[in-house]
Amino acid sequence: MTHTAWAEATGSDRDLVDRRLVAWYFVAALVYLGFSLLGGLLMALQLVRANPLQGIELLSPGRWRMIHTNAVAYGFLANSFLGALHWAIPRLTLRPVLSRWFSWFIFAAWQVVVLATAGGILLGHAQGLEWGETPTWIDPLALAGLLLVAVNFLAPITAARGPLYVSSWYFMAAFVWTLLTYAMGNFLPEYFVPGTSGGAIAGLFIHDLVGLFVTPLGWGLMYYFVPILLKKPIWSHGLSLVGFWGLAFFYPLNGIHHFLYTPIPMFLQYGAVIATVAVELVVATVLVNFFGTVWGAGRLALANLPLRWFYTGMVLYFITCFQCALQVTLTFQAVIHFTDWVVGHAHLVMFGVFSMWIFGIMTHLFPRLLDRPWYSNRLAEWHFWASTVGIVVMFTDLGLAGMFQGYYWAALLPWEASVDGSYPFWLVRLLAGLVIIFGQLCFVVNLVATWRNRGHV
Amino acid sequence: MSSLAPRSRAARWTALGLALLILLPSLWGFGTKFAELVDLARGQGEGTFAVSPVVNYLLASLGFLLLFGWAAVNGMFHDVERPKLLLLEREQMLDAKE
Repeated sequence: MTHTAWAEATGSDRDLVDRRLVAWYFVAALVYLGFSLLGGLLMALQLVRANPLQGIELLSPGRWRMIHTNAVAYGFLANSFLGALHWAIPRLTLRPVLSRWFSWFIFAAWQVVVLATAGGILLGHAQGLEWGETPTWIDPLALAGLLLVAVNFLAPITAARGPLYVSSWYFMAAFVWTLLTYAMGNFLPEYFVPGTSGGAIAGLFIHDLVGLFVTPLGWGLMYYFVPILLKKPIWSHGLSLVGFWGLAFFYPLNGIHHFLYTPIPMFLQYGAVIATVAVELVVATVLVNFFGTVWGAGRLALANLPLRWFYTGMVLYFITCFQCALQVTLTFQAVIHFTDWVVGHAHLVMFGVFSMWIFGIMTHLFPRLLDRPWYSNRLAEWHFWASTVGIVVMFTDLGLAGMFQGYYWAALLPWEASVDGSYPFWLVRLLAGLVIIFGQLCFVVNLVATWRNRGHV
Repeated sequence: MSSLAPRSRAARWTALGLALLILLPSLWGFGTKFAELVDLARGQGEGTFAVSPVVNYLLASLGFLLLFGWAAVNGMFHDVERPKLLLLEREQMLDAKE
């Protein structure tokens, strides 16, 4: 059926999109974001020696840290992406997902997986795999959940005829990659490939989770939402395909750069460095495309809040990728390895880029999902500015802290000297975190007021 | 049309020359490194630990190479700019129905 024929045959996009499900995915995401921010706050308080939960084993800082990272990845990002995909894919393909009932079942099952992961971590059942601490007994369930997600979304994409839009390519790849990445990281090192080889796979896992789960879904959604909000097509669809296939071929080997200066053979380490630099070139094509698209419509991108979220995230994406091309070299690694520089980089990617894109999508979609405008535009602006200022200060502060720590260690000063030297930076990090939390509170208050329909201010 | 033919033939030869210039050294570099990997895996027990991440990467890339070939054969790269216009048309249509 052509899209014109479909339009004649149906009433509206409400036949395609289950708006209630999209809204509930976003609500679930925001609840987990709250837990994640709480975990980050407790960890920041621990570093400035003000942990209010001192001495409680179940709520010890190490466990809260894992709640912080897992809640972001599997609670906030995964739920947000699933909600946004339930909006984007049916509208993109003009076909509903495989089954609405199936979608609601996946929604419920995914919340069980995330909550069970949190419970397992707090009870001390975490795996020794960074960002894959999910207890081993949950792994098969999570994998089955990812398989169901893939089946549900691939049905409308594969049924579409003719050349695919680049978002569809990114989404298809993400469903397959996420499944494979999760299986690789959570089964190979645990059961089949122990020791250093398992370590190398753990490196692939943590980076592939960023590059093959979060990145393709994030870019796929940007390629969908940005042209729609700008009301003009992407600058070059051909160039966007270059970006997609470049990611597909160069990204998978990157993860080993997490283990430079380890017993892993040098040719693998060099391969990871070269592949990482190659990905930065691919990233440049993507950014050129998006800034080529906004060329001539810069005022609109500043005035329209969702677009401002998107393009701020892209500027920060450029910074994080530029940083990556430098920090992946052995020379740079000699200074920053194991320091807070890496923590700053991770926060910039996860909050400064992908969370910002998600906030932009939520800011755009919630009024449509609830059929009413935002309760307060001022609160929406506060959300944007507090998040942006908070993450820029935090990233800069942690970057500086990392440089100081690296040089303290290189000078062979006592460990305590680096801890004392880091203390002022950790205080600033705490303040920056509080600003970020304030921004999210503005968003939640605004959302609750909008939902309760108190009227537009 | 006739004036375009020689230009497109020249473009084809240029593309082929550039492809050979890039692909041959790349294949040579990849081949020698792969041979080193095989030697490593055969020669010393400890070397085998390097194999699993490389095999993971090669399998993933092979999958995408096949997908790329399938996409090319099925016309996914014909009229390559058309999908971006279709996206906006569909969105306009859906919004109008709302």
